[in-house]
Amino acid sequence: MTIPTNSNTNDTENNTIKQRTNRSTRSLMIWTLLWTLSLAVIAFAPKFLWDYATTFTLLAIVVNVFFGFKMIMANKVHLESLDELQQRIQLNAMAISLGVSMVFGALYGLLEAVRLISFSPNPSNILFVMGITYFISVVIGSRHYA
Amino acid sequence: MKNKLKVLRAERNWTQADLAKALDVTRQTVNAIETGKFDPSLPLAFKAARLFKLSIENIFDDSDD
Repeated sequence: MTIPTNSNTNDTENNTIKQRTNRSTRSLMIWTLLWTLSLAVIAFAPKFLWDYATTFTLLAIVVNVFFGFKMIMANKVHLESLDELQQRIQLNAMAISLGVSMVFGALYGLLEAVRLISFSPNPSNILFVMGITYFISVVIGSRHYA
Repeated sequence: MKNKLKVLRAERNWTQADLAKALDVTRQTVNAIETGKFDPSLPLAFKAARLFKLSIENIFDDSDD
């Protein structure tokens, strides 16, 4: 079956929305993996590999920032590759995860001061809250529009 | 907002996947528009209008009734 395509739509075999999204998802996955690995290098290599040599640690930080920048840009490209409904689902998920992280983060930071917990709050826990909230929001959003 | 996308698509024997490919969106988006869960942007509405060779008003209806 032949369906007319719009003249301003770059709908070639190699540029359907699915293929664009697959490409951008793969790119985002690679840069996220590299960023995570470079973060692990900063966390463990100074102690286990180069005995806290400042030059190597600074170099690892530069590499980490570079991978972080590429990951951010890959995420931007990924969002732009989505269609408008998918972008709305992502926007809603971002709004919810940002709000939950702000509320949770502000409260979590006060828990030790008001002696509800005995340990120092770890800021990285907020990343888990943000990630889990984002994932759940995307799933709920996708089901809502299914 | 109501629309006639499902009817227009059925008249042409197109699947949601066919229409999604022609509009350069996902099948989920076509389904969400057809069921009234999602209102398309103006550029996407124009794209659908050009595809079906109709005016936007002949496809989409924003009246309350």
